[in-house]
Amino acid sequence: MRRRRDMLLHGVLGFIVFLTMVPFVFVLNNSLRTNMEMYHSFFGLPGSVENLARFTWYRLAGRQDEIRLRRAPPEGAAGAETRAADLPVETIGYAQAMGRLWDDLTCGYRYAWKVLRPYMVNTLLVCVATAIGVVAIGSVSGYVFARYRFPGSRALFVAVLSLMIIPGVLTLVPSFLLVKQLGLLNSYWVLILPYVAGGQVFAIFLFKGFFDGLPEELFESARLDGAGHLALYWHIVLPLSKQVIAVVGVMTILGTWNNFLWPFITNADAQYHVVASGLYLMGQSPASNNFSTMFAAYVLSSVPLLVLFIYATQPFMRGVTSGAFKA
Amino acid sequence: MARGRLQAVARNLGCYALLAPTFLMLAVFCFVPFVWAFTTSFYAYEIGGESAFVGLANYGEYLGDPTFLSSFTNLLFLTLFSVFVNVVFPFGVAKLIFSLSSERARYAYRIIFLVPIVVPGVAVLMIWGGLIYGDNGLVNEVLRLVGLGAWTRGWLSAPDTVLWAVACIGFPFAGGINILIYYAGLSSIPESVHEAAQLDGASGLRKFFAIDVPLVLSQIKLLVILTVIGVIQGFQGMFILTRGGPGFASMVPGLWMYFNAFSFQRMGYACAIGVVLFLIILVLTVLNLKYFRSAEDVQAAT
Repeated sequence: MRRRRDMLLHGVLGFIVFLTMVPFVFVLNNSLRTNMEMYHSFFGLPGSVENLARFTWYRLAGRQDEIRLRRAPPEGAAGAETRAADLPVETIGYAQAMGRLWDDLTCGYRYAWKVLRPYMVNTLLVCVATAIGVVAIGSVSGYVFARYRFPGSRALFVAVLSLMIIPGVLTLVPSFLLVKQLGLLNSYWVLILPYVAGGQVFAIFLFKGFFDGLPEELFESARLDGAGHLALYWHIVLPLSKQVIAVVGVMTILGTWNNFLWPFITNADAQYHVVASGLYLMGQSPASNNFSTMFAAYVLSSVPLLVLFIYATQPFMRGVTSGAFKA
Repeated sequence: MARGRLQAVARNLGCYALLAPTFLMLAVFCFVPFVWAFTTSFYAYEIGGESAFVGLANYGEYLGDPTFLSSFTNLLFLTLFSVFVNVVFPFGVAKLIFSLSSERARYAYRIIFLVPIVVPGVAVLMIWGGLIYGDNGLVNEVLRLVGLGAWTRGWLSAPDTVLWAVACIGFPFAGGINILIYYAGLSSIPESVHEAAQLDGASGLRKFFAIDVPLVLSQIKLLVILTVIGVIQGFQGMFILTRGGPGFASMVPGLWMYFNAFSFQRMGYACAIGVVLFLIILVLTVLNLKYFRSAEDVQAAT
């Protein structure tokens, strides 16, 4: 009875997982296929993988005969314009043929990486700086709000929280006018400073909630030893709060990595583009004529967060499940 | 009295100093734009040009704007649709996961459904725009495959399908942290409640609506208000995929604000649209809080 119900549940859930993953599976598959293959048929595996496997088998079997293969199309945007029939047929050996197939297979990724690399570096820089800023400022303020009572402490905390209801759509245009006045356009600061300012609010909320739960005895004994505000924070609070720091850090990086509109409007200079705005511009440029390049770019843009996800899943899940969203 | 208060302030100068970075940044990057949004909305202002005070003229003009009616109709449709699918689908999936008997399987599914958040939002939109809805995209190819080639169309370029197509991005709406939020709600229901219902002979579906739904109501409300606020503010999808077109078929107020600010250089007018959206969000939030409290009172009373 129980087993049958579980089987049924697995079936339904499996189907929903399948539907959720379909777009991403097609992206992965198509990032390895050339335009010609895409035009030929939408569904299908990368032809170069099949040929690569066959030629590897021939080589291992010791076959020495030569094969005829069309010359590879030129790299990048120009390659998308070339018709297969225009490419000359050559007779080459297996080793050379396999090298060419390998080139076919990875051509999307090589070209996409060339375009995305500077954007990746920018995004990583901005993400790390923002996460450090949010964690540092948010944890100090959360600590002060949680452990000290002083004139106005309650009112100040409410003032910080009340900023959470200011929607981004209201401040988008005036924020742009502000950073323009401040002369911050086209720099890393135009991203980092507003991200830290906005991101710290929720961080303070989370940190305060966590620090409220720390036992008072810890602090008393340290205070008797003559430790100051910062010493308490540095030596007692921080070592205990790795998990909440992980949650805040991951959420900050996630938000920063995904932010598209703000970097898009504030950094007209391509030098400072981030992955999100870079992907959009790539889609508008001739690079997008080569389907595999765009698909490879989507894959590459997801890799850093996938790595983060693998490392941070456990503390993140625990953080989300316990508390923060219990409304 | 005042003296004692002053002394207390002086004694705690260290605390104020530690809070200084927070308040400095909030003042500059949150409070100033907040105030400017209102003040700018009373001016006709182009970057580089003179700004002229026009009173409420921007608001008056917006009421008669050609996009006003269609954009708010579209917004209403998108909001209702998103609220429905973001409550029903993740809650349903969370319940299915929660019903599994193996703890390992439950954990595995929660992680699997979380994985899609690693794909940047812009990439997801572009994937749906090209790979799914494109002329040679998945939807059309599947239709051709099953012999319904006559039904194929440019889903994002036909006025009668564009809004549905935009709304359906992300189908089956199960990826992301919504499931975790519902799951947390479900797992906080005491086992004894279900056992009592079992003894009373309640069926599975009956238990779901009589126990699970009311006891997860606070999570549902949270996600409803977050979804509503998100949809009212969100115009990224339309910006990237349709630019509000064809015509104004997928125009939303936020996108019109963006165009006015950054394409037509009408900063004052754009701020006025932003203020209108803010007021709508504010009213909804207050209503939600009020409703929220009264619902808790009802629960406490019964």
